[in-house]
Formats: sequence, C-alpha cells, structure tokens
Amino acid sequence: MNLGLDEYINLDSPFHRWEARYKLIGLITLIFAFSFVRDLRMLLAMVSVTVAIYVISRLPASFVLRRLRFPSFFLLALVLTLPFLSGQTVVLSIGPLDVHREGLLAVLLIAIRFISILTIALVLFATTPLLTTIKAMRALGLPSIMADMALLALRYIQEIGQDLKKIQTSMRLRGFRKRRLSLYGLRTLAWLGGSILVHSYERSEWVYKAMILRGYGHAPHPRAEFQSCHRDVVTLGIFLLIAAGFITGDILFGHGVSALLQ
Amino acid sequence: MHIPDGILPISVNAGGYAATAAVTWYSIRKIKQKENPREGIPKASLLTAAFFVVSWIHIPVPPTSVHLVLNGLLGALLGYYAFPAILIGLFFQAVMFGHGGLTTLGINAVIMGLPAILAYYIFRLRKLGGKDSPKKDGAFGFLAGAVAIGISVAIFVGILVTNLPTDFISAEVERAAIYTLAIAHLPLLGIEGTITSLLVVFLRRVRPGILDGV
Amino acid sequence: MTDKESDITLLAGGRVESALSVSGLCFSYPDRPNVLNNITLNVMPGERVGLIGPNGAGKTTFFLSLCGVLEPSAGEIVLLGKPVVNGDFRPDVALVFQNPDDQLFCPSVWDDVAFGPQNTGLSKDEVEKRVREALATVEGTELAERPVHHLSEGEKRIISVAGVLAMHPRLIIYDEPGANLDIRSRRRLIHLLQGSTETILVASHDLELILEVCNRVVLMDGGGIVADGDPHTIMGNAELMEAHGQEKPHSLLPHQVPHQYFCHPTIARNV
Repeated sequence: MNLGLDEYINLDSPFHRWEARYKLIGLITLIFAFSFVRDLRMLLAMVSVTVAIYVISRLPASFVLRRLRFPSFFLLALVLTLPFLSGQTVVLSIGPLDVHREGLLAVLLIAIRFISILTIALVLFATTPLLTTIKAMRALGLPSIMADMALLALRYIQEIGQDLKKIQTSMRLRGFRKRRLSLYGLRTLAWLGGSILVHSYERSEWVYKAMILRGYGHAPHPRAEFQSCHRDVVTLGIFLLIAAGFITGDILFGHGVSALLQ
Repeated sequence: MHIPDGILPISVNAGGYAATAAVTWYSIRKIKQKENPREGIPKASLLTAAFFVVSWIHIPVPPTSVHLVLNGLLGALLGYYAFPAILIGLFFQAVMFGHGGLTTLGINAVIMGLPAILAYYIFRLRKLGGKDSPKKDGAFGFLAGAVAIGISVAIFVGILVTNLPTDFISAEVERAAIYTLAIAHLPLLGIEGTITSLLVVFLRRVRPGILDGV
Repeated sequence: MTDKESDITLLAGGRVESALSVSGLCFSYPDRPNVLNNITLNVMPGERVGLIGPNGAGKTTFFLSLCGVLEPSAGEIVLLGKPVVNGDFRPDVALVFQNPDDQLFCPSVWDDVAFGPQNTGLSKDEVEKRVREALATVEGTELAERPVHHLSEGEKRIISVAGVLAMHPRLIIYDEPGANLDIRSRRRLIHLLQGSTETILVASHDLELILEVCNRVVLMDGGGIVADGDPHTIMGNAELMEAHGQEKPHSLLPHQVPHQYFCHPTIARNV
C-alpha cells in the first residue's frame, strides 16, 4: 500500500538536504505566516514564493496536483456558496442570486492560502522520511509518549491497511456488494471494522511483549542525533525573514493588528 | 469534519493549538498516573493505526458514500489516550493525504478530540444499574457514537460559520447556513451511532476485554 | 568461571552448569487450565533443542514463561544460573516470535535492530557496532535503511533474528522460525541456525528443519513432555509421532533411491 509520501525522498535538492529540525521550524513558520495574510496584494507574493520553493524542491508538478484533488471538494463547496451568501457589494446577478465582490475575494484569499500552505507542507513532508520528521519533532520537544505512539502507529498503518484490503477482497469474492444502505450492509461493514480493531488489539499485545523482552523502558531512549551545519542555520534564518516579511507586509498594507482579531 | 488550511484566521488557529496543547498535557498526565502507562502505549498506538485505516471504509449513503469518524468509539476504547491518538491521526491525515490541515491541526483536534473524551465517560455509564447485556452495551455505544459526532459537528459548524473571511449578507442568511450545515450532518449522527453500536456488540462477542479500555 | 568461547560455566567440582533448568512448571489461562502441566527440562550450554508437537501443545506458552513474560502457577525456572523472575529484563535470553510483524515494531530496520542494545545502556558507538555485526551475521547489511514494511517475509524473518542477536544473548528461543518462508529464505535460515554458537531452542512444524539443525528433540503434547532425546530415535518412531499429531519426517522414511544431502555432516543419513 503506497501512502504516497516516501516516493520522492531520494531526490536531491536543497530542501532534501536541509536538516529536519531546521526545516520543520522554517517551513512551519512560513505556513503560519501565510495563514496570517489577509491582504489580497500579498497573495501574489505568496504564490511566487510558493512556486519558487516547489520548483527548488524538485518535486514533480503531478505530485502536488494529485494532492489537490481530494481537498478541492471543500474548496469547491465554498466557491459555490460564499460569493452568494456573503458580502455587501453586488457585482453580478444570476437569476435570483446575487454574486458579491467580498465573497469572491474571500474565496480567492482562501483558495490561494490553502493551495500555498498545502504546497509548502508537501515540500516539508515529502523531502524527508516521515519517521525522521517525527524524530525531529521529538528532538524539538514533542513528549516521548506522543513520539512513541506516532512511530508505532506509523509502522503499523501499512500492515493494517493491507489486512483491510485482504478482508475486503475476500468479502467481494463471496458476493458482498455495497450498493444500498441497509442494516445488513452496515452490520457487515461493522464486522469488517471490528475485525480490524480486534486484530490490531491482539497484535498490540504481542508487540508489547516484544518491546519488554528487548528492554523497553529499561534505559532512557537516546534522542536521535541530528547533525546540522551552518547552511541549515542560514537557510532557517532566510525563511524566518521571509515569514516576517509576509507578516509585516500584511500589517503595513493596512490591516494592522486588528487583523489578528478578525 | 476537518477544517482545511487557509480559511480560519490565525487567532482561531492559535487558540486551537493552545487548547490542544493544554488537553494533551492533561491527557499525558492522566496516562502517567496509570499503574503501567507503558503497557497502554502499544495498544493505543495500534488502535490509532486501526481507526485510521477503518475510517477509509466507505459507508454507502445514497447518493454518495461517507467515511466514518468513529471518534466516539475511539474515546470509549482509549480513554485519555484518545486525545493524543486523534491528534496523531489528524497529523497523519494532513501529511499523507492533505486532508484537514496543519494550521488547523489544533482546532481539528479540539473538534474531534474533546467529544471523544466525553464519549469515554458516556460509555462508562453502562456499568451503572447492574444489569449487563449486549443490548445495553449497544445502546450506550450508539449514544457515545452519536453524541460525540453531534458535538463535533456543532463545534465544526460554529467555528466555521463565525470565522469566514467575510460577513454574511444578513443574519438570517448566517442562521440559515448554520441550520443547513447542521441538518445536512444529521444523518451522520444516526449512521455513526448505529455503526458504533454494531461495533460494540461485535467486540463484546469477540473480544470483550477491549471494551474495558486500554 | 565462564569460558566465553564455548559459553560453558564450570561450577565448583568441575560440573557444568546447565543453560536452562525447568522443574515442575505449570501454567493455566483463566479459560484454559493446565496449558503447561508439570514440565521438567534441563538444557546444557551449546545444545540445540528442537521442540515439536501439535498446535495447542503449549510451546509458545512455555517460551513466554521461560522469558519471564508469563508467571507460572507452579514450578521453577533457572536460566543461565539465575532464577527467572516475572517482569525482569534478561538480555541474555532472547525470543524470536512466530510472526515477525509482532516483533519488528520500529519503522526502520536500523532502529529495530538497535532497540535492544539501546535498552542495555550501551554507548552510541557500541550500539552501532552491535547493529552492524548483527546485520552482517544475518546477511542483511543492505537492508539497514529500509522501512520495515517494505521487507519481504524472508527479510523480515532475518531482521527479527538480527534484532535479538544484537543483544548478544546466550540462549535464543525460536518460535516457528520457518513459517511462511520461501525455499531460499528457509535455506538461509537453516544455515544461520546451524552456524549459531548460542544455546538454542527451536519450535517448528518443519520437521526436516529440526533434523538439520538440532541435536536433541523434545516432543510436547497436551501441556507436557512426552519424549526427549535423539532426533532420529524420536522422530523415526512412527507410532510415537502419530500418537501425538506428528508424522515421521520424509527423510526418515525408507527410500528405494537414497537422497543426496549437502548439509550438516554430523547428521547421519540412513535411508
């Protein structure tokens, strides 16, 4: 089962080479800076920075387009409703419905912010193995219970996903078709879900035994050692400056601190 | 039920993160107070992965199909591990599928996670009254599932509608939007409640120990 | 006094201390009584003991008791000179699980093999050395950076072995190590087991594997030991084997045309 993230971790780009902890801080800060932006004039800068980052990362265009497919439904729903339901200035009338300028601009703002943030997030997570990212988060202060849970869950999502596929195949081969909503169908699907839960629960008991047999909890687990160099720090500095630039620019363009309070 | 990136103002996102940090801190404290917190970690982690996978199952709801959330059952089975579990699940969803968001991770965890903890307490109530039966467990399962998703929908709709970048053309329209969104999600309450109930009955038959929590 | 080379501990008077000494071991689950029923067994250092028996004979329960994971209801277990205490961490004894997926819980191969050594408080360099050595022993060095879920069944099996070897155990228990392996992986496993210097216990339904690897066989059934001794003698006894849900291994059946073997020279061919 391909969860689609590990495909491009072996490419070579400045982002692939950027040490995981610095990359996390730098790009997450940029993402939050983007979410701060409300001024439409800053959107052009946002798009330019996003495109530049994506191009430098060497990730293929098809990757981000594939990612945008699913979340786009929510966006589409907003596009189809907001311009009609919100705003003051009518720009167009389609039958009984009025299209409002503010609604259209809101949709533009949301769409560009959303696409930019998703793209930066993709660069952050697709240029480093997810398990390294989680270890970096632990090194940056994520509680070890959370890190342990995340790493264990990550390890077994693939296996459990395959179990699901196998059971679904066997159900299909024995004639089960999900067509209409019925209590029988719901019960069967509940049994499917229940089997997955029980398998996982029972497997967890074995995993716990395997962990304690190899000394889990016996000695404090060493933090993964990350090796950083000057370039990592400098790159972080650059991204913090860019983020600061967006925030400052947005404030200067007239929204001021009141933007924080909506 | 996930709010994607780009919609909410940074104040709400930051508030969501603050709330999530507080609840996570509290949950971890409760976990550490257990007799053997380490024993619960593989159970909670694998169930987190299992719920993640189970949410991929399509439930046919004509004319379309939905993915289940099952935060009620997750809360019932995991107790205080549920909030970290949901946070991790949401993180993976955002990172692996772009579903939900990163800036909205905090607020989404509040939407899904707080009702899960409530569901844990609701489900525990089945122990009261003495009589133990599959029907009773199933009924409390339904309640836990439906209430959890109901509260999630309420918080989701409330936060979304009141924090869009523009104002609605009138208060009536805003109210109408809220009601429409809420009513559109009503069938979900019934389905989640029903499936949670069916799952509880199945688990009770096959592996009753799992219902006593991690 | 311990002789590291042959891992034999000499007691006062020149007697050799046993690697494993079990007496009167009993265990019951809440819903299943007498899963282990008065088991007594003595294993000397360096022995390779095969454990055979039908499913439900109690082999896995026995192994978990030996490692201190399950607390017996009666009896005593002394492992490498020290009594086994429930819950104690004993890095000198290792268990390779039947299902590698239950054992390989770290996301990457390197992390998983390093897990055990890290918990014994070794330095980073020592851990790295242990991991490299263990991977080299199982011929899995090229798998080090791979995510575990990308491994094949055979690869998972050898990495699960590497994970326990890295702890430098003196006694290794293998629970159905040959299950789900293809021919090549199975042969690789047999070579690995034949080359081990530790005391080993191997439970397997693959009777040919037992014949190739072990110099002693214990037949378990119904929670107890029904036979203990030379592999050929026990497994060649068709009546005994069939009475306990087993069959005489193919290589011990009379043949018109003898097989050619290319394995352990000390195992006699008498077909």
